[in-house]
Amino acid sequence: MARGFRRKGSGRQARYVAQLDPLERATVAGLMDQVRELLDPPAPVPEGGDDFASIVAGLGMGVTVAAEDQSDLDPDDAGRDPALARLLPTANRQDDEVAAEFRRLTETGLRQRKAAALETAAELLRGEDKIRLDAGQSRAVLAALTDVRLVLGERMGLRTDEDVDVLEAAAQDLDPDDPLAYALAVYDFLTWLQETLASAMLDG
Amino acid sequence: MPCRAYPCCVSLAPDTPWITIVWNDPVNLMSYVTWVLQNHFGYSRKKSEKLMMDVHTQGRAVVANGTREAMEADTEALHGYGLWATFQKDE
Repeated sequence: MARGFRRKGSGRQARYVAQLDPLERATVAGLMDQVRELLDPPAPVPEGGDDFASIVAGLGMGVTVAAEDQSDLDPDDAGRDPALARLLPTANRQDDEVAAEFRRLTETGLRQRKAAALETAAELLRGEDKIRLDAGQSRAVLAALTDVRLVLGERMGLRTDEDVDVLEAAAQDLDPDDPLAYALAVYDFLTWLQETLASAMLDG
Repeated sequence: MPCRAYPCCVSLAPDTPWITIVWNDPVNLMSYVTWVLQNHFGYSRKKSEKLMMDVHTQGRAVVANGTREAMEADTEALHGYGLWATFQKDE
């Protein structure tokens, strides 16, 4: 049974401590890897397919946010995967040229910073069941959890507050083996975990 | 005695103020948005919660204003946190 984040100590000595089991840690770390790959696509794997995807499939953790696994992907105007567009949104809604200039100047740096936080967070989760974060690590995990939830939310079609209610209601009737039901369960777990960390950091 | 800083003050004055806006989205948590506003801008807990509630209930809130450069920097930082932020002229 997972225990959410709690703050121990205060000021610079503050630590954020949680307890997750190996399957929970692998699931969250695996999703962080997938979002990092979305931001920083690696060189194509020649033969044998995606190692991580096959490992995840072998463990029965069938949540994938990778673009090639989405059957109903609807690219935005720039031909961009909508999940990536959510991670790197348009910065000016009035002037396309200003928005494009901003993207040109900031996108590479943003991708690198997000990828670095996701890598740090995934490594921390691959440690031990008892997770203990200092201030810098807790910021990386908090940002990484946000990016994973944004991508998973986009993959499940969550674009307005109402979409969340509709999906939660529809999920009642889904077969537990339905991939959407599983994705929603994972999303709810991530939401709970992030809520405990954000609340603990807000109070610290 | 003339104020020696005067020409400098004039050149620093922004011609048109710019603003940074945060838009509501269904994913980001109220506690997290409050934490981001408190940490990035150094706003009080009370002010951060007020702005967060404005985003949540009105769909958007102006979270900062100043020079274009400063608003671009805020927007970039807020994108780093995963918030849906834009900058524009204050019209």
